[in-house]
Amino acid sequence: MATELIDRYVQEVGEHLPAQMRADVQAELRSLLLEMVEEQARAAGRPADSELVTRVLREFGPPEEVAARYAPPAQYFIGPRLFPTYKLAVGIMGLVVAALLLAFFVVGVVRTLQKPDEAVTLGLALSVVGKIFHAAIFNFGLMTLVFAVVERVQQRRELTGKAWNPAALPPVDDPDRITRAGHVFSLYGTLVMAILFNFYPDWVGIMGFAPRTGSWLLPLLRPQFAMYLPMLNLWWGLSFTLNLIVLRHGHWRRETRWAEFALGLLGLGILLMIVNGPPVFRYDRMVKGILIVPLIITGIESGKRLFRLVTRKALAPWSAAEAEAPNQPQN
Amino acid sequence: MVASATQSDLRENLTLEFRRGALVLAVLTQLHREQYGYSLKKLLAEKALEIDEGTLYPLLRRLEAQGLLRSRWRIEDGRPRRYYRISAQGEEVERELAAEWRALARAIERLLS
Repeated sequence: MATELIDRYVQEVGEHLPAQMRADVQAELRSLLLEMVEEQARAAGRPADSELVTRVLREFGPPEEVAARYAPPAQYFIGPRLFPTYKLAVGIMGLVVAALLLAFFVVGVVRTLQKPDEAVTLGLALSVVGKIFHAAIFNFGLMTLVFAVVERVQQRRELTGKAWNPAALPPVDDPDRITRAGHVFSLYGTLVMAILFNFYPDWVGIMGFAPRTGSWLLPLLRPQFAMYLPMLNLWWGLSFTLNLIVLRHGHWRRETRWAEFALGLLGLGILLMIVNGPPVFRYDRMVKGILIVPLIITGIESGKRLFRLVTRKALAPWSAAEAEAPNQPQN
Repeated sequence: MVASATQSDLRENLTLEFRRGALVLAVLTQLHREQYGYSLKKLLAEKALEIDEGTLYPLLRRLEAQGLLRSRWRIEDGRPRRYYRISAQGEEVERELAAEWRALARAIERLLS
């Protein structure tokens, strides 16, 4: 009876241990606990009954805590440095979901007051709420995945990092310093776009509220749009990779800045092809008219990047090697 | 009430932190002869150093993983026991830690007086 309780305890500790150390720790723990119980029974002149075993185990501590003391240092899916950003991102997503739900609620109430015969029914409301939650869970999973990837990229950077050199420290006002959150959101955005355009092209459209169906979605992409997908996938793939590389470097470098500029040009080229190409959208002229805006923004951004690259503004120490030789002329 | 609980937690944490490094040295000094977990705990207790089993046993394994201890299973009184002993590397570390400990103790003593 008393031994059985120890076995159950040891088993439970083992459940929280990595497989490679489990059997060994369990064997040692069992032997030690039996010893403790026998010793205490002898000292107290009483049998080693379940009451005594319970007392010893209680003193020893809850199985999870004991296992935690044996286990190797924690490995994080999303570590403590990234977690605040992750929490913020999930919080923003939560706010968006709450705003959507509130908007739907307000529209529903207004419609019910204005036209009682077109009132939003419970079934309808549940279906829209369900859609919003479905999208929220999808995005939550995607965001968690992106953060987990970034966590691994950063860990690898730290593990492979060379001995640090104080001369390589970036200046206080360093224009090449990266904002981790910005890159994470960029990764997330790229992934969302790639998934939407490749797997859910019907979801790319305009959404609204409707009296009978609860909500409506007007898809904007025509099947012909698929002709641009290989190019867009290449662009998203390269953007994703560049973001990961910059995160791994922890700093913008000359080569990554040029890659950013080249990717901007590629994006500009694709946008120009879409705008000048055959109709691929419903309301093609209107959508292409709207696309002029990102086209202009990308054009201006590319121009600014090129100017900075050529005039060497905002190109503080590219690497530790250059930082060590500040007088070396840069070409 | 809450404040005093927090203060007692803080005190406990600081004490734990304070003892953590010292326990390594204490364990190394007592393992020039083979000991298993429970016998080591009793040995330390006899020398007025109480350490709970939940801290001591994982510490032994950690020190072994770091190469400071060696261990082997032996059957004694019909029971399998894991015996630990200091390694050559452990002896070296013990000497360094002991020197560090003495220097620190002298410095703190001067600060306290």
